Amino acid sequence: METIPQTDSQPAATPTERLAYSIQEAADLLGVNYFSVYRLIQRGKLKVCRALRGKLLVPRAELLKLLQTQ
Amino acid sequence: MNSRLDSRRLTTLEEQAYTEVKEHFAEHLKQFPASRMTVERLERDIAKIALAADMAASQTPQGNPIPTNDGTRWHRSVDLTDNTCLCHRPVTGGVEYAALEYFPDRGRHEIWNRGGNVVEVLKVFTQEQRQALQVWMEDLAVQVGEFLEEKYPRQNMSRAASSFMHHLTHAISQQSAQTLDPNHSRSIRI
Repeated sequence: METIPQTDSQPAATPTERLAYSIQEAADLLGVNYFSVYRLIQRGKLKVCRALRGKLLVPRAELLKLLQTQ
Repeated sequence: MNSRLDSRRLTTLEEQAYTEVKEHFAEHLKQFPASRMTVERLERDIAKIALAADMAASQTPQGNPIPTNDGTRWHRSVDLTDNTCLCHRPVTGGVEYAALEYFPDRGRHEIWNRGGNVVEVLKVFTQEQRQALQVWMEDLAVQVGEFLEEKYPRQNMSRAASSFMHHLTHAISQQSAQTLDPNHSRSIRI
């Protein structure tokens, strides 16, 4: 099967390259329990956004920033 | 069900929705009561934990000191939760205390809060745990509402949602009652 060549301007999108994650997913990615993620949010260490009906979402960029700064 | 919420029994459809919510949010149902129970224990045992930490600080440190993200090194006094502990270190003119949190993905500890007064360190830490529980509770209520709206569009499932949130609270009450045992101090380790 032929594959469509990727160009530099259009990097391959993988399932992990999402814009944001749920609290549960963020907890799994960080290797901590749900409470730890909510504690990071409460302390302002992890900035979240409210999407759709108000559910908290953790932007991928914030997760990466957290990992880089700690 | 709490009669103050709504004394009427859930309809068959609401019961079905309630069961689905419990299954979908099973992990929250497992983790939230345990976390809240831990916070309640901390609130109740502040004086006891402070005393244990004070005693630990007055003794010769045992084990390897814990390095933190700011370059300081701490001696473990008391475990607070499964991934946080109260620690101490000698400083000029006394002892400094800190609540440390362990991040398994990075394999290191981070300082939550610190200070020379162990009771104040514990109070601030505990208050922030309580606030984090509130953030969790509010977010979970939104998630439950969203889940039910998607599963049962154009139907009012607020009673099923309320029942779930009440179940969560009730589960906490039951577990908390069990921990009122005065001998419950297993997590305090000097």
